[in-house]
Amino acid sequence: MAHADTTHAPPAHPPAHEEETTTGINHRKLLMWVFLGSDCLFFGSLIATYMVYRGQSIVGPYPRDIIDVPITTVSTFVLLMSSFTMVMGVAAARSGNQKRLIQWLVLTIILGGTFIGFQVYEFNLFRVEGLRYETNLFSSTFFTLTGFHGAHVTLGLFWLACLAIMAARNPAGRPSDLDVDIAGLYWHFVDIVWIVIFTLLYLIGGFDGPPEAGHAAVQGWNWVTGLIS
Amino acid sequence: MSTNPGQEAVLAQQEHAAHDEHAAHEDAGISQFFFGRVPEGVHGGLKQYSLLAIFLGIITLVEFLIIVPEGLQGSGVVIAPLVILSVIKFFCVVAFFMHLKFENPLLWQIFVAGLVLGLIVALSLVLLFGVFRPTPRAFSEPRIEPFEHHVEDAHAVIERPLPDELPPPANPADLAPAAPAGGAAAGASPGQTLFVGTAACASCHTIQGVAQGVLGPPLDGIASVAGNRISGYSAEEYIRESILEPDAYTAGSADGLSQDYQEGLMSATMAGIVLSDEDVEALVEFLLQLR
Repeated sequence: MAHADTTHAPPAHPPAHEEETTTGINHRKLLMWVFLGSDCLFFGSLIATYMVYRGQSIVGPYPRDIIDVPITTVSTFVLLMSSFTMVMGVAAARSGNQKRLIQWLVLTIILGGTFIGFQVYEFNLFRVEGLRYETNLFSSTFFTLTGFHGAHVTLGLFWLACLAIMAARNPAGRPSDLDVDIAGLYWHFVDIVWIVIFTLLYLIGGFDGPPEAGHAAVQGWNWVTGLIS
Repeated sequence: MSTNPGQEAVLAQQEHAAHDEHAAHEDAGISQFFFGRVPEGVHGGLKQYSLLAIFLGIITLVEFLIIVPEGLQGSGVVIAPLVILSVIKFFCVVAFFMHLKFENPLLWQIFVAGLVLGLIVALSLVLLFGVFRPTPRAFSEPRIEPFEHHVEDAHAVIERPLPDELPPPANPADLAPAAPAGGAAAGASPGQTLFVGTAACASCHTIQGVAQGVLGPPLDGIASVAGNRISGYSAEEYIRESILEPDAYTAGSADGLSQDYQEGLMSATMAGIVLSDEDVEALVEFLLQLR
């Protein structure tokens, strides 16, 4: 990049975080996007596992007994709105408005925390109603997928809390707009993963019952129970 | 390292954007923000983002409304609209909230590469384990593992001391529709279907031609002998009590059977199985036919 250095005068207002890179993209930002791309593979595998075992649980509770679509629609909406407050936080950071940044971050944390609250309530209710992690194929794949998503959200909450505290404490240690931007990318990614989970596990798969007679899972079950004699 | 023209253009564009960021920020109109070509580094403001948030909220509401009619719940026709709507939401968030529309195209390529790889992994798994189920060829039959050890495992489980806390029983409403899945022969009575299916009687009791369990007394001809087990009980009363209160009386060699059976075993193994009143009556009716 020596070429660019010698032929161009330095910008009049060099942003603090801009560095010369071969791609023209800040390394940290690039890293975050590479990570998010790889996280697609992670969640893709978990979602595929759920879909492979979907409708093969031979004991209840089945999704149609236990999935509450209206409540989860509300929590989905809450998470979606937290993406909006997050992007407003990023905009505030970019325009250098520290006070606004803190306000939007706190709002995002409240909305994200509300989403986690819904999930804690849901998991607890399922457990009390007899759907434990080991109950059936549905419960194992459901809790693994939504649990890992919840863990992502929780990590994001810690991240945003750190940024808010950094921004509130002193001007010297305050997060750069790139710091907020990268945290925002992570936060939005968690939101889009939930968009997929909500559609597949709740809107489409939330009414699944036991497998039909003649299904391979039922045949296998009958075979084994016939042998226990 | 040589500088290619594409990179130069990107750099020039970035510097341009850095100079004009504030002006462009103010100037990006709504239609330009969502549909037009905007220079790199341009971002939206409250107006653009709230419009998008409202749009996404409406899509979520529409998705919910699609599955409100009970006839549509879980049916195949809703899958396509729901998938299309969530794909729209997905890419709106990526393009505008994650401002990928306004970024270096390389970031799109990186993310889409990960996304496509993830989709391929998901599709491969579903196809491999969920769709294609090959039938083993004849030559492999001698090598298919015998399942005797499953029987041993099952006996070990049955004889194991019970945990203090048993899992809550399944919802009885769900057991009824699952009953036809019990693998009973076509034309079997509801009681027989339950016997080999969800009531799991067949795991422990023998009825010639129906089940070969050994842990409990055989039930061939039970209707003929049930009336003699407890004085004052008819065959029907005895059978019903034996299902509902298995511990009340445990049949054994005193009843002319070949052995004594373990007391309390049936109530323990049935602890997780819930039978409705109709289920019990169907079982009684079926067993009363075994003369």
